[in-house]
Amino acid sequence: MTKKKLLVNIFGPILSVVVLISIWQSIVTWGHVASYIAPKPFDAVRSVTSNWSTLAPLTWWTIKETVYGYLAGALLGAFLGVILSKIPLMQRVLYPLLILTQAIPIIALAPPLVMILGFGVMPKVVIVAWIVFFPVTVSVLDGLNHVDKDLLTLAKVFGANPLRRFVVLEMPAAVTQLFSGLKIGATYAVTGAIIGELAASSGSSLALYQRSASGSLDAAGVYGTTLIMTAIGIVWFLLVVGVEFLATPWQRRSTARRWRRGAKPVLPNN
Amino acid sequence: MSNSTLLDLRGVSKTFGTTTALSPMDLEIERGSFVSIVGPSGCGKSTLFNVLSGLLRPDGGTITLEGKDVIGATGHVGYMLQKDLLVPWRTVLGNITLGARLKGKVTPENREQATGFAEKYGLGEFLNHYPSALSGGMRQRVALMRTLATNHQLLLLDEPFGALDAQTRFEMQQWLLQVWRDTERTVLFITHDVDEAVFLSDRVLVMSPRPGRVVDDLRVDLPRPRTLDTLVSPAFTELKARVLHQLHRERAV
Repeated sequence: MTKKKLLVNIFGPILSVVVLISIWQSIVTWGHVASYIAPKPFDAVRSVTSNWSTLAPLTWWTIKETVYGYLAGALLGAFLGVILSKIPLMQRVLYPLLILTQAIPIIALAPPLVMILGFGVMPKVVIVAWIVFFPVTVSVLDGLNHVDKDLLTLAKVFGANPLRRFVVLEMPAAVTQLFSGLKIGATYAVTGAIIGELAASSGSSLALYQRSASGSLDAAGVYGTTLIMTAIGIVWFLLVVGVEFLATPWQRRSTARRWRRGAKPVLPNN
Repeated sequence: MSNSTLLDLRGVSKTFGTTTALSPMDLEIERGSFVSIVGPSGCGKSTLFNVLSGLLRPDGGTITLEGKDVIGATGHVGYMLQKDLLVPWRTVLGNITLGARLKGKVTPENREQATGFAEKYGLGEFLNHYPSALSGGMRQRVALMRTLATNHQLLLLDEPFGALDAQTRFEMQQWLLQVWRDTERTVLFITHDVDEAVFLSDRVLVMSPRPGRVVDDLRVDLPRPRTLDTLVSPAFTELKARVLHQLHRERAV
């Protein structure tokens, strides 16, 4: 990546956020919006920092629910994608069920989950996984179904058994697709955790904190909580993008990094 | 079957439903020879390759490679298509050693051999490049090196240069002849291009469809190494005319 491109990549997003915050600040200031309707951005941030001792453990719970649920959903999703692609019968048997899982309104899923799993972390993790697995399954299935047939034929002629064909050719070929599913899942994950907290919390949680702030007309508290939730979502998404960046060097480089070459250094031809 | 016979087909046939893709065929291929197969689509040349490589089981007959029956088995020939089929996530080195990886682990010897090929044939500086950084001709070279690196004596090349522009194609043909001479392999080469077939080969088989069969088997005694001058020599033109006549007579029937 050239230096100029790097600068654009880093400062572009920062600039757009700054512009957004400025617009928010101007509307609230010059539009004479009452402070119980919408806070100024910095009041929202201040509300988070001054209540951080209360918010930190809640945030930590939400992060845990998001991450555990996401990892479980991603693993399950990838596994199902492989099963569906490799066992044609399963496409007939499982696919309708998968559609069914996504047709159930997520909110309606909470009460039965609470009955089964109680009010702890588990129901939220299940809800996050429930949302995340589907795009991952669809993308893995898509990726595996679109591996070049001639490439698989070549592998057969070379004498590779089906397992090697899968590990050496099909899995890496589906990686690009896999990540598009993982990224969609990453944006949904925190939403799932918050829905879970709203519908399946008895004690304290970020979602309930926000609800009580809303009840007491504490707009700064409401917006501050939203900022935290959004930050969790963004950071998680960026982490997934970072993993993709490291896992698929061929999409942006013309040569392999040394540690990927898997061979002793190659001397120039002379 | 003489001592120098590498590949021996006896009565090999294949039908799909009511279509005879390959009528019973006898064919002997000499070790170290370069044999081209020309013919219109549907003449059974691809079926022949699929049967030889083990992708298809013939309905009858025997196939003996280096004295062993290979019917229904795979992993005994090198194989290359018009599409280079390089995998984008492996480097040039990783692509050349793909055959080894598909059968198990890539050993240091595999890497050394791959590096040797790449250096000898002008891709030494590109060993750590991903295929996306290579030109079409370079990619086909890597694909051929991958085929060589399987270390099989018999190479099946199915229109490997079909997608290249004329100039690159001629370079690749000369390069292929050099590789063939250096590595002492046996090549079976499918092409639509009569010039290419005559220019490269010791022997040209003309095939014809319905039923798929060999209708002419001609020796090409042009001196080697073959150069641009070969292409314009009277002997070349004569051979080419014969192949063309065979092709078109068969088509006119």
